[in-house]
Amino acid sequence: MTDTKTPEEIESIIESIRPCFQCGICASSCPVFRVAPEINPRHAIDEIVKTGVIEPDGTEWSCAYCLMCEQRCPMGVSLAHLLVAVKNISTEKGNAPEGLPEIIHSILSTGVIAQDSDLDKMREKYDLPPLKRPTAKEVRKVLELTGATDLLELYQSKGVGSD
Amino acid sequence: MTVSRAPSSILFGIVNLYYSIVQFCQVQLVFGRGLASESECVSMTKSESNPESEVESTKREIHHAGEEVRIGVFPCRCGKNIGAVVDIDEVAEFSRDLPGVVFVQDNRYTCADPGQKEIQVAINEHSLNRVVVASCSPTMHEATFRKAVKAAGLNPYLCIMANIREHVSWVHQSEPELATLKAKELIAMAVSKAATLEAQPEQDVNVTQAAMVVGAGVAGMQAAYDLAEMGYLVYLIEKQPTIGGNMAILDKVFPQNDCSICILGPKMVDIYQHPNIRLYTMAELESVDGYVGNFHVKVKQRPRFVDTDKCTACNDCVEVCPIDVPDRTDQNLSWRKAISIPFPQAVPSAYYIDVDTCLGMDLIRCGKCIDKCEQEAIKPEDTEQVIEFDIGVIILATGFNPADPRKTPRLGWGRYPNVITTLEFERLINAAGPTEGQLVRPSDYQEPKSVSVVQCVGSRDISTRSGCSNYCCAESVKCALLVKEHYPDTDITIFYQDLRMHGKYFEDVYRKAREQGVKFVRGRVGEIQQFPDTQNLRLSVEDTTHNELIMQEAELVLLSMGAEGTAGELPIPISTTEDSFYIESHPKLAPVDTSTAGIFICGGAESPKDIRDSVIQASAAAGRASVILQKGRYPIEALSAKIMQDLCSRCGSCVERCPYGAISQDGTGKFTVVSALCRACGTCAGDCPKGAIYMPNFTDEQIFSQIDIALGDNPEEKIVAFACAFCSYRGSDLAGVSRMQYPTNARIIRAMCSGRFATKFAQKAFEQDAGAVLYSGCHLPADCHFQTGNHFMAKREPRIRKWMERHGIADDRFRVEWVSAGEGKKWQGIMTEMSKVVERHKEELASRKVAPPKKKPAKKKAPAAKKTTPKKKAATKTRKKAPQKAAVKKTRS
Amino acid sequence: MKYAFFPGCTMAYRLPFVEKSIRLVAPHFNIELVDLPFTCCPEPNSVRSFSDETWLALAARNLALAEKSKLDVLTACTGCHESFMTAKHELDTHPDRKDAVNEVLGEIGMEYTGVSAVKHMHQVLFDDIGPEAIAEKVKRPLELRVVTHSGCHMLRPEAILQIDDCEAPVKFDGLVEVLGIEPLEYMDKTMCCGTGTRRANREASFAILREKMTSMKMVNPDAAVVFCPSCFISFESGQRIVNKTFGTDFKLPVYYYTELLAVALEIPGMVPIIKAHRVKGPVTASAPGVPGEGRPVEAKN
Repeated sequence: MTDTKTPEEIESIIESIRPCFQCGICASSCPVFRVAPEINPRHAIDEIVKTGVIEPDGTEWSCAYCLMCEQRCPMGVSLAHLLVAVKNISTEKGNAPEGLPEIIHSILSTGVIAQDSDLDKMREKYDLPPLKRPTAKEVRKVLELTGATDLLELYQSKGVGSD
Repeated sequence: MTVSRAPSSILFGIVNLYYSIVQFCQVQLVFGRGLASESECVSMTKSESNPESEVESTKREIHHAGEEVRIGVFPCRCGKNIGAVVDIDEVAEFSRDLPGVVFVQDNRYTCADPGQKEIQVAINEHSLNRVVVASCSPTMHEATFRKAVKAAGLNPYLCIMANIREHVSWVHQSEPELATLKAKELIAMAVSKAATLEAQPEQDVNVTQAAMVVGAGVAGMQAAYDLAEMGYLVYLIEKQPTIGGNMAILDKVFPQNDCSICILGPKMVDIYQHPNIRLYTMAELESVDGYVGNFHVKVKQRPRFVDTDKCTACNDCVEVCPIDVPDRTDQNLSWRKAISIPFPQAVPSAYYIDVDTCLGMDLIRCGKCIDKCEQEAIKPEDTEQVIEFDIGVIILATGFNPADPRKTPRLGWGRYPNVITTLEFERLINAAGPTEGQLVRPSDYQEPKSVSVVQCVGSRDISTRSGCSNYCCAESVKCALLVKEHYPDTDITIFYQDLRMHGKYFEDVYRKAREQGVKFVRGRVGEIQQFPDTQNLRLSVEDTTHNELIMQEAELVLLSMGAEGTAGELPIPISTTEDSFYIESHPKLAPVDTSTAGIFICGGAESPKDIRDSVIQASAAAGRASVILQKGRYPIEALSAKIMQDLCSRCGSCVERCPYGAISQDGTGKFTVVSALCRACGTCAGDCPKGAIYMPNFTDEQIFSQIDIALGDNPEEKIVAFACAFCSYRGSDLAGVSRMQYPTNARIIRAMCSGRFATKFAQKAFEQDAGAVLYSGCHLPADCHFQTGNHFMAKREPRIRKWMERHGIADDRFRVEWVSAGEGKKWQGIMTEMSKVVERHKEELASRKVAPPKKKPAKKKAPAAKKTTPKKKAATKTRKKAPQKAAVKKTRS
Repeated sequence: MKYAFFPGCTMAYRLPFVEKSIRLVAPHFNIELVDLPFTCCPEPNSVRSFSDETWLALAARNLALAEKSKLDVLTACTGCHESFMTAKHELDTHPDRKDAVNEVLGEIGMEYTGVSAVKHMHQVLFDDIGPEAIAEKVKRPLELRVVTHSGCHMLRPEAILQIDDCEAPVKFDGLVEVLGIEPLEYMDKTMCCGTGTRRANREASFAILREKMTSMKMVNPDAAVVFCPSCFISFESGQRIVNKTFGTDFKLPVYYYTELLAVALEIPGMVPIIKAHRVKGPVTASAPGVPGEGRPVEAKN
């Protein structure tokens, strides 16, 4: 159970977006397209359907994951699923944006997204108990078995996310 | 025949006279449920029914008793439709060795004239007495081939089809080898059934010389008018207080933009005054019994509380009525009274009282209208009427509803007052509408300086209707032109995805709109938001021509509403599409016929369409209906159940199961079937505890032998799928027509009705190690074409499951499904899912090496004898005799 | 009602005062909060984008943890809520994926079966307790005019979450109304606050926030009310950056719903919480804080 997409998986992703008839509802609902006209979800889908390949160009990371496009698509095309797949492929290619491997690393070491140990002090200020945390061993196990640690290594060799 | 409303005019007197003559001339066939004197009608029909309708014992013999069975098999390539996937040469070769087959001839197009001729020649040259055509679905061409064999002197019921196109080549396009194997087995199944087919006497019945048209919109009006003009009596049933339908509330109609009510109004009057038309408004169908030529109808008419003959539509009552009700005609943009007339040109030209809102038609509660009406037209004592009549044909013209804008909440209708539908616009721009034709926006009654039109609302969206609604593009352009005509300075933009201006003259209108400055932007509107201060709207849309986001401000927005199907609400089992439009018998060649003989469809009930197309189709439906009326007699189902008296235990369960009252008990306690009443659904046979009911051409033995052959090889891999002829089998055909691919392991057995699927068929299949079994019928509760067959089938399910449990058969290997003729996709899904079940079952068998539930019968390659009934032995004998070398002739044309 | 409480990383470590308000309010509605050793939900836009499988397995682990304690999960962050609900949907409708995940969980002695439900605080308050019951407890109606922001992941995917009409949500407005607050209709009510793309496309992210807040400002609200800690931070801290970047002058106080609820109920202990807000608003907590109140219940295993 690792996260490398097989050609069959990629084909099935492309298959799922072929119903798209380029109406533009996704684009007109996209908050990112509204402020960054170079990022057009309709166009992205058209590229994939036309070329038959998924080649992440970096813009996939601009998706705010607001799910508006998915909600409104009249053909039931799941852009959220497509984008998760595209981002996964992008990650495999070493193109995860800055900060993301650090987050994975934080989860690997603490189970949560919060590296600064002082933060628990902030909880004390409001008389809140420190939150229970999972054992590092079990989190590592899950990340190992699902391929995240391998992916992380790819980035650590590039000098990110290591401590 | 009881018509509760006394006709008052002389015209109606003439109608009555005419009608009584019609009645006098025709032989009355009475049938169906809810009849007061069933025994009486049985005796009536009995006297003219086939005297050989009852079989007294099991010693029945097929008509060719002693005669050698000589089967001809005709595999068809259907051009490349079958030939490109199924190896027809191999199939032909295989067919030659099947028991009883003496002649095989493949063909490129068997259904074409030369193909039919060849069958006829073969029947004579090779003395064929059974014909198996292996080509398309029997739904498509059974009638064609039956006619062909009849012309060659063979009884049409001795011809049978193997469906190797819709069930094989079209659904297994990428698996030629397995498809060929399946084709062979389907042919073997058909050949085995053919051996015991029986000739049936062809029967026909009288056709009642009257028609019913349901729905009096423009389509229903046209159909009724055409039939009435041909001289037939027509009952026209309309739910609303007036006829005219959706067209009556439109302002102008495209492409010429002529006034809608001006062209419709005179037609409405024609309908009202036609001597051959009986119009019932505020009326709905209660029940329809019977069959082609002989329908018996009950119609329920709501009380109007106003005498249509006395009312002069003077408006006095309206002036005194204290109750305001949102006006339906004006799309709730204005008010009417509790007593009202839908619009000035309404037909009948009379008021009606909305009983739900009226304070009360007595002087204590209100009664003001009664007081005021000089004509004394108001009838507080009016009650609901039930009208009954007999007719020969039915035309369904129930129309469609405009789509509901609330189902597309992203466009803000209902939240933002200045977002209105095109139909609301029609009323606003209409001189008779709430603003007397002045276009204002609802929030502040100001004339809008900018208008945007949003296309494809309620259409082309899987959350509403995935289909295109056909008329809305032209409707939008018309609305834009109307705005321009009245207010030339208005800035108007149409946002479209694909502008489909396909009709005659439509392109001219499109051009005119462009010339007048209407802007067209390609892109579907994603959302509409309202500015909090001005209540103007902001439309977000991607201009897909320029890849840019447009945020357009508009003072008024029109939503171009598509159509919403309403079919399926009537007590008539005609299959509907997933989006509730009636399904035609054949999309190209029988577009106004339905799968039920004598019932036709037209207008918006068939699919969304404009006025012109509705009228064309209505005339077509009237024409098709008149073919039946004019002939006067109609051939009916010749098959009829027979009770084998020596097996019958006289439990009477068959009587309850027969929806037609065809089975009755005589003085001696004997049950018999009146063949003229029997429709051959087989539900009685499906549940007969003694197996004492014989269903010719769908006998237990025939079905058993089909199961036998289906499971001859690798039974654990097979799905034995039973499908009823009217819904599920057509659903499976639709999967084929739509080229929906699924695994090749299903063997479909067709019966008239799911009521025929006896418990023992599934048991038999499992005893033969079938991987899975499917029973598929028309949807519950009311889709069954034999009224209740599916209910009785459903009741067998728990019994079958219990039996499976006792025999250690996994529950998921048996499935009961309801598949309509419109659900090809569902059929594909079921086949795919069941194949997975079979796959799992196979793996389980392999891993555990579990012994099958019961003793495994020895595998047989070809259909072979089972030592059961003497009948079977006879059949085997003929088979043994048969395998003489069959001639294989090839034709290439 | 007892829940496994899931505040989420953002609330727990960046907005602990908001978490405190939830813990203060809970006992007044008989809600008992149990803490469990959860991981990050995990956040879909980062973890799921990195590895779909890791996301699903970690989410399943959290849900399995709640299952073990026989508790439903109560979320306070819409992001966590959407993550759990989507993962749950994925697991419950794809047996193959569920099997694969359980193979992983088996290695750490756990199993996901799907018995525990996941509810957002909003659902408990609106659907279970109901605005009427809340209204009965209100001691100090807050005379404010506010804009509510449900947040993307409270509304979408609608079919899976089924919390409110995703195009025209009304329930959140109903909840603020019973506190004596007037909810204002405004443009772009269901639009994203921009948080989702902050890491990858900072410029676009703040431009989205600018659009959103421009629409909010059109109706001159006293404050914005949210149900999500990420949206909270986006609005409260983000508006300063928007002002700096685009020359706007937003000064909109932001509250998480339970903060206003606690104030309207005059629950003691709210003074430091209201004080913690960076954009000072019209709401004041009159009652003095009582230390030690609202201590969470320890989980019993």
